[in-house]
Amino acid sequence: MNDLYAVWLVARKDLLQESRSKAVTVATLFFSAVTLVVIAFAIGQDTRLLREAAMGALWVALAFASVISAAQSYQADLEDGAFDALLTTPVPRPAVYLGKLLANWAFMVVLGLVMLPVTIVLYGAEAGPHWPWLIPTIALGTLGFALIAVLYAGLTANLRARESLLPVLMFPVVVPILLAAVRASGALVGIGDLELATGWLLLLAGFDLVYVVLCTAIYHFVVEE
Amino acid sequence: MTTETRGRWERPMWMKAWAAVIVALFAVGAYLGLVWSPPDVNQGNLIRIMYAHVSIAWIGFVAVGFTALFAALFLWRSKRMDDVRAVASAEMALLFSSLTIIGGMTYSRPTLNTFWTWDAKLTLTALMVALLVGYFIVRSLIDDPVRRGRVSAVVAIVVAASLPFNYLAAEWFRTLHPSRSISLDGSGVTMAPEMLMTLLFNTFVAGLVYAWFMVDRVRLGRLEAQLEAERQAHEAVPSTEGGVVRV
Repeated sequence: MNDLYAVWLVARKDLLQESRSKAVTVATLFFSAVTLVVIAFAIGQDTRLLREAAMGALWVALAFASVISAAQSYQADLEDGAFDALLTTPVPRPAVYLGKLLANWAFMVVLGLVMLPVTIVLYGAEAGPHWPWLIPTIALGTLGFALIAVLYAGLTANLRARESLLPVLMFPVVVPILLAAVRASGALVGIGDLELATGWLLLLAGFDLVYVVLCTAIYHFVVEE
Repeated sequence: MTTETRGRWERPMWMKAWAAVIVALFAVGAYLGLVWSPPDVNQGNLIRIMYAHVSIAWIGFVAVGFTALFAALFLWRSKRMDDVRAVASAEMALLFSSLTIIGGMTYSRPTLNTFWTWDAKLTLTALMVALLVGYFIVRSLIDDPVRRGRVSAVVAIVVAASLPFNYLAAEWFRTLHPSRSISLDGSGVTMAPEMLMTLLFNTFVAGLVYAWFMVDRVRLGRLEAQLEAERQAHEAVPSTEGGVVRV
């Protein structure tokens, strides 16, 4: 069996499972929406302040959603020993990681694209002329979150206190992702400064590239029994 | 306790001598920093905090590097001692980066009139403390030594890999613009030769302190591993008395 095909099969399994249970969809969708509303309430009624905080709020909501999504993708697997069964199949460990990553990433991109207009409306931000660039920003930013979340969720899946442990481990690592994504999308809304945004997008791409290689290489130490 | 086991517990003579040398060199470093080096043009005598602060910060980053190095070695050849060394270095990294934050706050209160600035290096150090705390939390949750070593090694490697990105992000965050050139040596600040000499000497002493604690902690870690193995052997076979298992 081709390794790339194995990646696709693992991703397809996760996405199919999700399309039937819709557990993550419901949880993350409403969780992100509630986060956006809560942050808006916390900021208050100052419209200028809300507009400036819009992209920060969006990425905070997406960061939390990526934790839920990654943790849930292992939770479903661990029931009835399905994950052990997956590991006994002749699928290389990196393919398992990349498959789970692909499923999580695809899900997060869709979530980000749904949440983006919600944020823009809720916070009164203007999309501006450079708005198409927000799509690669969301793709690169959520990939960064998913990379770390999927690796660390596999690591914490059978530990005590995993719900609180995963964000504690993950967030300090993804600080550059959060920062770059917020800055890039902040530079793209409104009048926009494409040159400034490109610098941050390059940092995002660099982070993603390094961590795709690193996480794929060390994943088998995480799941090895 | 027999004499043989007590001998195992004791710190060897050469380490005590080394400790005495460090104390003496530390005194020299303090003299250089507090008396011999000139006051700064802008900051006056406050610059003297810098000698302790910067040397500790540098060694803290070196300690994180060694943690990741030993973690990678552990993953590569699965020797328990590599895990012990990684933990020893991580503990020193946590200590040194915590001291860096305290030093940074002490330094920025009189010079910048605030305890905390979102300065790139200070932010990076704060993130490093958070990352290292995560490393120790993970370790505390896993009982099996092999799995603990492997999982925490993965965390250590991810932590070390994230530091350059954290540095870039923190640097750009402060200047608000990513096209700024990066200099790791203090943004090209020129320093009097006496000051540089004092700083380098203090860094050298801080390095010696790190190395001493590293060696001592590895010695303790080896004893811990032996104790754990002996205890397991006793529990498995209760009849064999004083069965010693070496690791």
